[in-house]
Amino acid sequence: MSKVTDLDNNAKSGQLSSNRPNSEQPSNAGRRSFMKMAGVAGGGLVLGVSLPGYAGSKTEKMAGLASESTFNPNAFIHLSENGDTLIYCGRCEMGQGISTALPSAVADEMEADWSRVRVEQADGDEDKYGPQATGGSASIVRMYQPMREAGAAAKAMLIGAAAKVWKTSTDNCYAQAHFVYNKLNKQKLGYGELASLAANMPVPSSPVLKSKEEFRYIGHALPRHDQDEVVIGKRMYGVDTKLPGLKYAAITHCPVLGGKLKSLDQSEALKVKGVLGVVEIPRFDVPYGSIGGVAVVADNSWTAQQALKKLKISWDLGENQVYNTKAYKQQLVANVEKPAQVTHERGSVEQAFAKAKQKVSATYTGGHLSHSPMEPNASVVWVQDNSCEVWAATQSPADIQKVLAQYLKREPKDILVHVTMSGGAFGRKFKCDYVHEAAVISQKMKMPIQLIWSREEDMRTGYYHSTSAQHIEASLDENGKVTGWLHRAAFPSIGSLFNPSLDRASKGSLEDVAMHPFAIENFRAESGEAKAHTRIGWYRAVYAIFYGFAFGTFADELADKAGKNTFDFLNQLYDDSSNINDRQKERAARSKGALALAAKKAGWDQRDKLPKGQGIGLAVHYSFNSYVAMAVRVEVKGENIRVLKVDCALDCGQILNVDGATAQMEGAVVMGMSLALSTEISFKDGAVVNSNFHDYPVMRISDMPEVAVHMVESDHKPTGLGEPGVAPFAPALSNAIFAASGKRYRDLPMKPLSV
Amino acid sequence: MSELITINGQAHEIDVDGDMPLLWFLRDKLEFTGTKFGCGSGLCGACTVHVDGQATRSCITPVATLAGKSITTIEGLSENGDHPLQKAWLNNKVPQCGYCQAGQIMNAASLLAVNAAPSEEEIDTAMQGNICRCGTYQRIKKAIGEAAQEMQEDA
Repeated sequence: MSKVTDLDNNAKSGQLSSNRPNSEQPSNAGRRSFMKMAGVAGGGLVLGVSLPGYAGSKTEKMAGLASESTFNPNAFIHLSENGDTLIYCGRCEMGQGISTALPSAVADEMEADWSRVRVEQADGDEDKYGPQATGGSASIVRMYQPMREAGAAAKAMLIGAAAKVWKTSTDNCYAQAHFVYNKLNKQKLGYGELASLAANMPVPSSPVLKSKEEFRYIGHALPRHDQDEVVIGKRMYGVDTKLPGLKYAAITHCPVLGGKLKSLDQSEALKVKGVLGVVEIPRFDVPYGSIGGVAVVADNSWTAQQALKKLKISWDLGENQVYNTKAYKQQLVANVEKPAQVTHERGSVEQAFAKAKQKVSATYTGGHLSHSPMEPNASVVWVQDNSCEVWAATQSPADIQKVLAQYLKREPKDILVHVTMSGGAFGRKFKCDYVHEAAVISQKMKMPIQLIWSREEDMRTGYYHSTSAQHIEASLDENGKVTGWLHRAAFPSIGSLFNPSLDRASKGSLEDVAMHPFAIENFRAESGEAKAHTRIGWYRAVYAIFYGFAFGTFADELADKAGKNTFDFLNQLYDDSSNINDRQKERAARSKGALALAAKKAGWDQRDKLPKGQGIGLAVHYSFNSYVAMAVRVEVKGENIRVLKVDCALDCGQILNVDGATAQMEGAVVMGMSLALSTEISFKDGAVVNSNFHDYPVMRISDMPEVAVHMVESDHKPTGLGEPGVAPFAPALSNAIFAASGKRYRDLPMKPLSV
Repeated sequence: MSELITINGQAHEIDVDGDMPLLWFLRDKLEFTGTKFGCGSGLCGACTVHVDGQATRSCITPVATLAGKSITTIEGLSENGDHPLQKAWLNNKVPQCGYCQAGQIMNAASLLAVNAAPSEEEIDTAMQGNICRCGTYQRIKKAIGEAAQEMQEDA
């Protein structure tokens, strides 16, 4: 234990950062390794790795997150002399399982015994751990290869050390489960015994990776590394940090975005026993800064919450008071049912429409959503004259460093961020307004502060998934082939967070429409006016939620009009794909593969034998580099919709953790069901109407259908699964209801609660 | 002399405002953080503990009403983390983020204490107040069934 700590200190003291490669070297040098060894003093092996060619995803670029650097050394394998192995997870964990999946890939290549491995969440330090902003289902895409290479390098060094001890060739040695064996005399040496010697071995420039057949953990169903702690209540989350002298804050915000504090009478609040102060938090006008609020500090959370109610506050609500979602959604519909700004064009939609045997059109809408993770926003911040330390449930420690540095006028590296487990996040904890607020309070009160948002604040003053409208028009020829597709979308975009003057979604935001695997030959995408009146943020699956719904439901409507069954019709659509490029061809083929598996497992061919009132709906969606198809079986009785069974088929390339993949799909069905059927955030006069789980009815256990998850055998590179399962559920459900009852739902949620 | 409350077998003085919900007494006063804050209104079940064996939402239960009562939290459900439900939870790999799971397990334990062999409908009814946003419901149901079976075999 102490050894590991020593090593960690060595690593922190900068022994990692020599050997920075020439930036003119190609950054995508194939399988070339970028490994390097770090601190060896104190015994044991510490291995770091750098991440080749990190250019950032488009969402990260939009958020100003992408780093152009091509070399990010980090240190994440710490093997001590007693054999204990510590692997740091640089990516943030919020339940998606990355802190098991990636370290298990390291352990697999390293031939480490998983029972000897401990995983720790890394502090915020992108120079050391590479990009930590965890979103876009990108962790596996980005980290799988470097993690494996690091593990394989460690194994090669351990084998090299053993060969040296035995004075034999490395060819005569092999590693297995924390030991190196000598083939000639059956001797063995433990990893702990070899650790310090291994640290002096050269780092292999291109370590040999295992073949698929040799995987011990990759592709298996490893349990979460921390589940033992969860079931005894010992897993620590953002709300759980305790420090000596810790004080507690509760906060209320201006209910309308852009409003300001007009007057504040704190006298009654200050009379409450245990209250230490009231802090006004002005709006901090950076993308993830506070929208402005007032906080009460007390010696416990409950006292702070009670005193908060005694504040007499009046707000100047500002121009977003005009926001009413019911009227706004109608306006979005109007904006997509007339010509809008062209973003993408191929062939000629007009010519295709002119020659059409049949023209079909439909308009789809969706509401705002609140992430509502079970753990509300929470962090502990202690701002002192010479330091600032943060403990936060977050998806992006670097953004905390950036925003707090801006606020405190310090350097980002001077903000120390300890990343805790998030009790769910779903995109919400990418934005660190709640941490910024804790920092403001701590600085003013000169004490460590824990700020926990109430559920009501979380629901009413969050960042929301966009409300949206889409209008599609398509032409069918005499054979039922789709010849033209006009797709208009209007939604307040995430880009508005960074550029509030945006009046509609950008071309980039419609890229996924233009590049949909259907790739209709004559195609046009248009973006309709949609100015934002609230903060729009990434929500699990993001725009794929409404794009998937429109594509998946409209395809089913087209199949019906063409007189074909949806499975055959979808296959034809993919076969007719104009193959804009090679990747498009692959996307069509893999979409078909997932669809075929879901349909087969659901008994699509036997659907005519279902009892009256039941139906199966199909949808498949490609998003975040993965393919997910769902076959939803539903029973409709009058107005009552019951989801009976979901067969989910996925193709995410090589699967890292079968159990984690399955869990993500089960979870995606639940989240998909909530948003398809019941959850919507409504605004009236600029403020959110919903307040807690009674009027934001997320799905509960009694509505849980049977979910079966099926995986396409694939040797493609592994891709992420945190988000891709969400999109296909709503269209598959809509299609199932149509099959069962003839009723077509085009608006989400289908059964909104009136609030 | 303030009144006493027994938590996981140990007596504690109620030395706070009696209106303070048990949840905050546990979390901020005693620093038992296994019991979670989710909604503050008894709507999500994340804060579930046992009061004399009965599942109770600690976020809406004033601590003064619990004088002389015996409270069990997730930390005290079993000596070694080996309650049949805890074992079944691990066996079925139930947790994703895990935040709601203490409340889920405590609620399920209270169910099994009065109904050794609950039907699927009875599980649904009993667990209806416990929200999981990650969507682990299918595994929760399975784990409860499995634990019930083990408890019956041991009985």
